[in-house]
Amino acid sequence: MFGLPWHIILPTLLGSLLVGAMCSSVGTFVVRMKLSSLGFAMSHAAFAGAALGLMLTVADPIWTAILFAVVMAAVLGPVSDLSRLQVDTVVGATFPLTMALGLIFINKAPSSGIGSGALSLLWGSVLGITMAQVYVLAGVFVLLVGVLIVFGKEFFALLLDRKLARASGLNTQRTFYILLFLVALIVAVSLRVTGGLLIYALMILPASAAFQWAYDIKKIFLISPLFGLLAALSGFLLSLGADLPMGASIALCCAAIFFGSVLLSPKRRRQAA
Amino acid sequence: MDDVVTLVDVRATYEGERYATLAGVTLSLAAREQLAITGPNGAGKTTVLEVINGLLPITSGTVRTLGCAMTPTSHRLRSQIAYVPQNLFFPPDTPFLVRDVVLAARFGKPGRLKPAMAAERRSVDRALEAVGIDALSRRPIGRLSGGQQRKALLARALAQEARLLLLDEPTANLDPTAKQEVANLVARVRRDLGAAAVVVSHESGPLLEASDRAIRIESGRIAGEIELARIIAMAR
Repeated sequence: MFGLPWHIILPTLLGSLLVGAMCSSVGTFVVRMKLSSLGFAMSHAAFAGAALGLMLTVADPIWTAILFAVVMAAVLGPVSDLSRLQVDTVVGATFPLTMALGLIFINKAPSSGIGSGALSLLWGSVLGITMAQVYVLAGVFVLLVGVLIVFGKEFFALLLDRKLARASGLNTQRTFYILLFLVALIVAVSLRVTGGLLIYALMILPASAAFQWAYDIKKIFLISPLFGLLAALSGFLLSLGADLPMGASIALCCAAIFFGSVLLSPKRRRQAA
Repeated sequence: MDDVVTLVDVRATYEGERYATLAGVTLSLAAREQLAITGPNGAGKTTVLEVINGLLPITSGTVRTLGCAMTPTSHRLRSQIAYVPQNLFFPPDTPFLVRDVVLAARFGKPGRLKPAMAAERRSVDRALEAVGIDALSRRPIGRLSGGQQRKALLARALAQEARLLLLDEPTANLDPTAKQEVANLVARVRRDLGAAAVVVSHESGPLLEASDRAIRIESGRIAGEIELARIIAMAR
């Protein structure tokens, strides 16, 4: 297929699809709760962590990326609660910090300067992923499904209205922190596929597109990962067919799905009528 | 019978505020009683409700709700209290159906892993029918009028099978007919559930007239009890 052997095609395809489904699923929360900068912040934290891994020459920088993203998740919620600031504002404060750390770590890495390792973290290099890394993605996917089942009611109520959810007896703070950890973990493990700069597209655009098609959050939860899968698959085919970078191809397909949904949205037609 | 709510010399301050919003409030609410709280804007009426359901921590005093000490982490206790916040209005693009908004009121109850069963869905249907918006159950909540959204929030109280209703300005911005409908609904919810209610309102109207007692709050203190006859007279 496309002149590439199956042992490269298969992990690439599976990795892209898993990342597409996971990012667009948590993207539904991120979009509904107006936390669109969250994906951005997490990806830069994960990038800084991966850069630290490169500097320390660890075997797989993805683990230091996960560590940094999870620490970011652990910091964001409490800092936002303590300072009584919106999470978006706290994200704005942490963003330059993680970006600066990332650049310093890369600068101090043994192969000084922005080498191919760092570039692949920024732009993604899905063709380089192995089946072992696909298993990690699959593990996080299973975890995501498990968390959505166990905390489904909490998440549902939280998305409706945080104050109402709390007033009806739900621990909204715990649920919100779980969501932050979930986003952090998914961003970190997806970094290799889409890269730190483009993961934002996969998190925000399929979910935003899904919101164009339905008024029912349950349907949106089904449509969003479907769009994520579609973007990943079409991006995969576009990349191999036109010899384009994988992460950029997936991001382009995300954008096409989003703008197509905005144009064709039944909500727009109803409002215009 | 024990009081449903007991506040003893409660003081509370919102974070960042220099002065206490509640400056020593003492009140009680008997089972099945409806208490109305009136007073000017900023007097502390909403704060009383937030203290009763533990959404706002107190700085001193005692709060007992449904026989238990109420704190911000009393999640299970809060699942027995229906709260209709002030000015809660769902914008048109809110991606939730009316029946799901009502169903979500039950999610604080034990049995998190249990999916919403047929019995639960039936209780939602009954609640929607009781408040007269069962025909709208599959419509997006944001597409309903202000009065219909208020009814959906009252349906949540029914579906939640709450023992205490905390209603903050539930008839604000409604026309006289809708105000009367909401008052009738609150009476019905209280009767069906055997619940007590605290109703906050800065204006007189049918909901206040239906109360057993009314108190007036000024500057974070209870300024006194108001005779209901006076409220009714003021309304006319």
